[in-house]
Amino acid sequence: MTRASGEGRDIIYFDHGATSWPKAPGVVEAMVRAETDLGGNPGRGTHRMAIDAARAIFGSRKACAELLGVADSRNLLFSPGCTHACNLMLKGVLKPGDRVVVGSMEHNAVARPLAHLLAQGVDVVIVNADETGYVSADEVERAVKAAETRAVVCQHASNLTGTIQPVADMADIARDAGAVMLVDGAQGVGHLEVDLGALGVHAYAASGHKGMLGPRGIGLLYLDPEMELDLMIEGGTAGGSSSSLAMPDSRPERFEPGTPNVAGICGLGAAAGFLGPHGPEQRRLETALVRTVHEGVLDIGGFRVLGPEPGVPRVPVVSIVHESAAADRIAFELDKTYGIACRAGLHCAPWGHESVGTLETGAVRLGVGFGNTPEDVNLLLDALRRIVA
Amino acid sequence: MSPRTPTEFVVLGFESTHDALAAEDLIKRAGIPVVPIPAPPTLSALCGIAMRLEPSHVIDAERVLDEGGIRPCARTRILDV
Repeated sequence: MTRASGEGRDIIYFDHGATSWPKAPGVVEAMVRAETDLGGNPGRGTHRMAIDAARAIFGSRKACAELLGVADSRNLLFSPGCTHACNLMLKGVLKPGDRVVVGSMEHNAVARPLAHLLAQGVDVVIVNADETGYVSADEVERAVKAAETRAVVCQHASNLTGTIQPVADMADIARDAGAVMLVDGAQGVGHLEVDLGALGVHAYAASGHKGMLGPRGIGLLYLDPEMELDLMIEGGTAGGSSSSLAMPDSRPERFEPGTPNVAGICGLGAAAGFLGPHGPEQRRLETALVRTVHEGVLDIGGFRVLGPEPGVPRVPVVSIVHESAAADRIAFELDKTYGIACRAGLHCAPWGHESVGTLETGAVRLGVGFGNTPEDVNLLLDALRRIVA
Repeated sequence: MSPRTPTEFVVLGFESTHDALAAEDLIKRAGIPVVPIPAPPTLSALCGIAMRLEPSHVIDAERVLDEGGIRPCARTRILDV
C-alpha cells in the first residue's frame, strides 16, 4: 500500500510519473545525515567535515555510476534536476545555424529550450510520432540524412503515453551522420534497465526523483567522455585553482559550480544503492501492475488508453481519456472521493498530446510505481468504474 | 606528553577534488594507509586536497592509481608529525 494521511484520510498514490512516493528505503535517512553529520562545504576547505562531505558526494556519484553502467563516474554530473540537465545539454551543444532533429513527443523540458533555440536561429526539424506515441528510427534517419545535422534529440520514454523510444538505434544513426545523440531520460532511469556505457548516446539527462526513487531537486547528466559542452554557468568550484578566472577543465567540477545539494546527492546515492539489487524486481512488479491497470480500464468501457497495446513494453504510466467524462473531473473525483492521487491535464507535454490527438481534452495519467500493490490497482479500477457509471 | 618526531612523507597532488577522492578510495581499498591533507604550497596541484603517504608505500600506491586510471599531477616531500 502507498499511504499517507491528508485531510484526515488515506491517500493512494498513483502520480509516480510526476515524482515517486514513497522514496527508496534509506533516502531520507541519508539526507538527514547529510545535514546533521556532514557539515562543511564539500571541496572547499580541507577540515574533516568538508572532506567527509566531499567523500559522501564522491560515494553517491560512484553508486549512481555503477547503477547506470558509467565506467568513469567523473562523466556523471549532478544537476538540480532533469530539466536543468536538458537545458545544459541542449544549450551546450546547439548554436545558431545548427540543425537538430527531434521527436514529437518531447516534454517541455526539451520543447521549451528548443523553442528558445529556434528563436536564436537553430533549425528544429520535428519527426512525428505514430498514434501510439512511437518515434520511428527510420523516420529519424530520413530526417537526419536530408541535410547536415548537428544533433538528434529524443526522450527515452514518454511521460504521457509510456512509449519507449528506440534511442539506441537513433544513437547509431546520429553517430553515422557525425551528429550527437541527446536523450531526455526523465522517465527511463529506474523504470528501464539503463546501461549508459552501452547505449551509445552522447548525453543523457536523468531525473533523480522519479524512477530512481530519490529526492526532488536532484538530477543527473551523463556525458560521453569525448563529448564537449559549452558552459551555461560559471562559478566557484571544488578544489581547483581559485586564483584562475577560468573554470577547471576537469570533470565533474567543470560543470558543477556552486555549493552542491549535498542532502539531495546523498539521498540519490542511497536510492541508487537500493535500486542496484531491488530494481529488477521492482520493474517486474510495475510491468504486471501496469498491465492490470491497462486491461482493467479497457474492461470498464468508454475509455481510450494512450500508448502501446497491453503487453507491449512501456514505462509505468497509463494515460486515459473518457468518451464523456472530462479528465479534470475524473482526477478530482479520484482524489476527493476515493483518496487516489493522479494527474490530469497536459502533463507539460503539449507536443505529445498533439501527437496522439488529445491536446483539446488532456488526459488522466495514472503513474504506477514503488509502493503500489495489486490492492491499490483494484481500488483504482473500482473507483474509475463508479465515477464513469 | 612527549613531542612527536617529524617524519618524511610523500604527498600526491591531483587535478580535481574528484580525482583526489578517487585516489583515496583506490589506495584505501588496496589496504595502503593514506591521509588527506591540505595541499602544501610546494605542490603545484590544482586541488586543495592532497594525499599523504609513507615513502615505503608510494610505489604500491602509484601502481594502484595507475591501474585505476587516476594520475597524480604533482608530487612532493614534506616533514609532518
